[in-house]
Amino acid sequence: MLSAILIFLALALVIGALLGYAAVRFKVEEPPIVEEIDSVLPQIQCGQCGYPGCRPYAEAVANGEADINQCTPGGEAVMLKIAEIMHVDPKPLKAAEDGEEIVGHKVAFIHEDDCIGCMHCIKACPVDAIVGTTKAVHTVILKECTGCELCVPVCPTDCIEMRPEPVTPRDWIWPDPEKLVPTVTPPVKGAHP
Amino acid sequence: MSLKETLIRGLAYLYPMARRWLKRFPGGVYPQYKKELSARHPLHAPILPDELILPLQQHVGVPAIPTVKVGERVRKFQQIAKPAPGLSVPVHAPTSGTVKAIEKRPLPHPSGLPDWCIVIEPDGQDEAGDMPVAIQTPTCPASLKKMILQAGIVGMGGAGFPSWRKLPTKQGQIHTLLINGAECEPYITCDDLLMQTRPHDIIQGALKVAECIGAEKIIVGIEDNKPFALKAMRQAAEGTGVDIQAVPTVYPMGGQKQLTEQLTGIEVPAKAHAVDVGLLMFNVATAAAIYRAAEYHEPLVSRLVTVSGEGLAEPMNIEALLGTPFEALANVAKPKQPLDYPLIMGGPMMGHEVVNTQVPVIKTTNCILANPPQPITPAMPCIRCGECMDACPVNLLPQQMYWHAHAHEWDKVEKLHLFDCIECGCCSFVCPSHIPLVQYYRHAKGEIRKLREEQAFQEHARRRHEAHLARLEREKAEKEARLKAKKEAVKKQAAQSTPSVDAQSAGLSARERAIAAAKARAAKESGPTATDDTAAKRKAAMEAARKRAAAKRKADTSDEPAQSPEEKRKAAMEAAKRRAEALKAQKASTDSATEKTPSEKVGDPLCADAKRKAAMEAARKRAAAQRAKKAQEAASSTDTSTPPGSDQATEETAQADRRLAAMEAARRRAAALRQQKQETGEETPAGKDQTPVENAQTAQNPTSAATPSATEKRDTEKVGDPPSRDSKRKAAMEAARKRAAALRARKAQQNSEHNDT
Repeated sequence: MLSAILIFLALALVIGALLGYAAVRFKVEEPPIVEEIDSVLPQIQCGQCGYPGCRPYAEAVANGEADINQCTPGGEAVMLKIAEIMHVDPKPLKAAEDGEEIVGHKVAFIHEDDCIGCMHCIKACPVDAIVGTTKAVHTVILKECTGCELCVPVCPTDCIEMRPEPVTPRDWIWPDPEKLVPTVTPPVKGAHP
Repeated sequence: MSLKETLIRGLAYLYPMARRWLKRFPGGVYPQYKKELSARHPLHAPILPDELILPLQQHVGVPAIPTVKVGERVRKFQQIAKPAPGLSVPVHAPTSGTVKAIEKRPLPHPSGLPDWCIVIEPDGQDEAGDMPVAIQTPTCPASLKKMILQAGIVGMGGAGFPSWRKLPTKQGQIHTLLINGAECEPYITCDDLLMQTRPHDIIQGALKVAECIGAEKIIVGIEDNKPFALKAMRQAAEGTGVDIQAVPTVYPMGGQKQLTEQLTGIEVPAKAHAVDVGLLMFNVATAAAIYRAAEYHEPLVSRLVTVSGEGLAEPMNIEALLGTPFEALANVAKPKQPLDYPLIMGGPMMGHEVVNTQVPVIKTTNCILANPPQPITPAMPCIRCGECMDACPVNLLPQQMYWHAHAHEWDKVEKLHLFDCIECGCCSFVCPSHIPLVQYYRHAKGEIRKLREEQAFQEHARRRHEAHLARLEREKAEKEARLKAKKEAVKKQAAQSTPSVDAQSAGLSARERAIAAAKARAAKESGPTATDDTAAKRKAAMEAARKRAAAKRKADTSDEPAQSPEEKRKAAMEAAKRRAEALKAQKASTDSATEKTPSEKVGDPLCADAKRKAAMEAARKRAAAQRAKKAQEAASSTDTSTPPGSDQATEETAQADRRLAAMEAARRRAAALRQQKQETGEETPAGKDQTPVENAQTAQNPTSAATPSATEKRDTEKVGDPPSRDSKRKAAMEAARKRAAALRARKAQQNSEHNDT
């Protein structure tokens, strides 16, 4: 009886020690969850989630402070990715819940006739995509604009407008055939001889 | 015809798909070719349209950059757009004429979007200028590359990839040059006609390229449904060692990878180019264009175009100038009905509709197809028959790809090797449910590319945002550092200048004090507080009273015209005594004030301002009093005879004037000193602006504070930070005003004196 207890006690100690050692020795370094979430966010630093940028939002999500569905520009694709990272069920987008219209990528456009060169938008731009100086007309570097709309409310003359990005033959893509009536005449079917 | 081939052909009557065993690559389909529509006619005579529309981008890559201006006359073969950096080719004028516009016009592109084009109005002269292509015949890959780039040659089979980019950089990298004359798309016969009419150009072009890149072998692959072309090519190739091979007719035999496999048995790996396995393929039209460039130094300005379709009465092939609108060519082929339906660029399998009939022929336009619209069979659900899989020439799983593309699972479609799809359309062609499969793949490819771009953009935006934050941080730190440095400098200077101020306070020149006062004013723009105000007012009132008294005295003395010279002298002596006394007293008070200032002024920086105001007020009043006196004197002098001894009187007035100036200076000195103690030294070189008048005033006054250490003081003061321009200007203005007031006062007095005498 006593021997059995001692044997099992010894076994328990040995195995426990082994497990403890293994836990330290073979520890798997998981990538920090904040980094992972930050990497799927669109990085346009718009603040529409209620946090001052993409990284703060990623931190808030990782800490369980924010919901996974607050990234409006990222849309459903980003929400699904965050849901996967956080191991939670997907949720409909907050903007969609609030009944807001979700639109495609837009870029800022400055009506140069109205621009007074106040520098406010330049200070607001999170990616330095607006150029100009005091009392000189400002303009947007189209290529760098993320469409975060942070420059729109700060403009004292309301001269900034969000416009859809122009499509050129170079960045045009074939439309989804499901949303389209077939346009190409079907090929002439060849009869087998 | 081998035994195997004979057997398969026989078997094909029972089992049509047995024909797939005749070729080396898998899949493929057998559409109705309808090539006889256009192939039975000879080449049509060239036409000259009303305008030529030359898109800046007729190739894969970066659009060319225009080198002509609107209204400029261009000649045939002139380069009108230069290649942009990167993957680009130039554009040349197809005929002589005037540049009508450089504007956005619809392109023969599936998007139908407009893009930049150079529009030329031909003048009908067809006058050629200098050849833009180098005269020297190429001999090495580099010179060949240069020549092909200068000639603006791109892949003319339909892909439009700049040909110079396909060439290897070294000799010997390519062992076999392949020439593609398969032309597998239905309806299209332009390559067939080219091979029939210009076999020599093609063979010589191929030989030229092979010579330059060091290829040992040249194989021309021609589908066996073009017997005339085969015959012509074989004749032209006789004795040149060029191997002309007939390949089985199957769609898509003309695909680069398919024909390569058929001719050489080598399957080009998925992510590799033909160059990587020692092969290079050119279309027959490209080879002919290279020959024209090498032999005649002609750039690519025209090409053979098939104009065909069920809707045309006289389908044909024509040598069309690049930029010719589709409509002009279609009208030559006599449409059976008005062209109110969309034309197709390319063949029925891979071609696409164009947005309107005005789009131009570009370097990749091999066919204009006018097929009146047929009823469209709606797509039905996939029945998983697997026909598409059998038809796929690149061994993909079209059905699986369709399901994933349908569900927008882009990563899964990509895993099924979506990017190996050549978009040949065989799957759509065989689909019994009429599902436009190839459209799904095209869309999926576009979406995946867009996603990748977006990801790259996100990464870019993240970096920019981080840079932005870093910049803000840096700017903040810099600002703090600057502020700190400034503070320290001020402290240091304060420590240096305070004792010297004490030591020299009595000996400051009026000019320096004026500067200090001006500086103080500039620095303390805010108005004085209520207490300061009252103090200042009181002072001003006292000052004014003193002035008034002095004026009265003067008036009294001058009011007595009957005074004897003796009396006058006495009075003058008296006055001089009084003056001296007053001056002494004032000096004493100034000194005591100066001594008091540091303790007095610490909490009261606005005092100086108030004092200055008071001084101004006083000066003004003084001036007014003098003016009044002068008027009075003028009145009295009319009836008085000029007494002798006027010299004395003049001297007296002069002295009075000096005294006034001295008082003024002393007052200013006191204010300045106080201010300076307060400020601990931001002295300026602005003092140099001070006019000699004021200096003279100070110098004139024998009793006023001397200026022994003025220069010395100035030197030490100049060390301090220079003030802003604004404060300098203000100081100068103030000084000028004071000077003017003093001058006015003196002049008035002198005038009165003059009148007196």
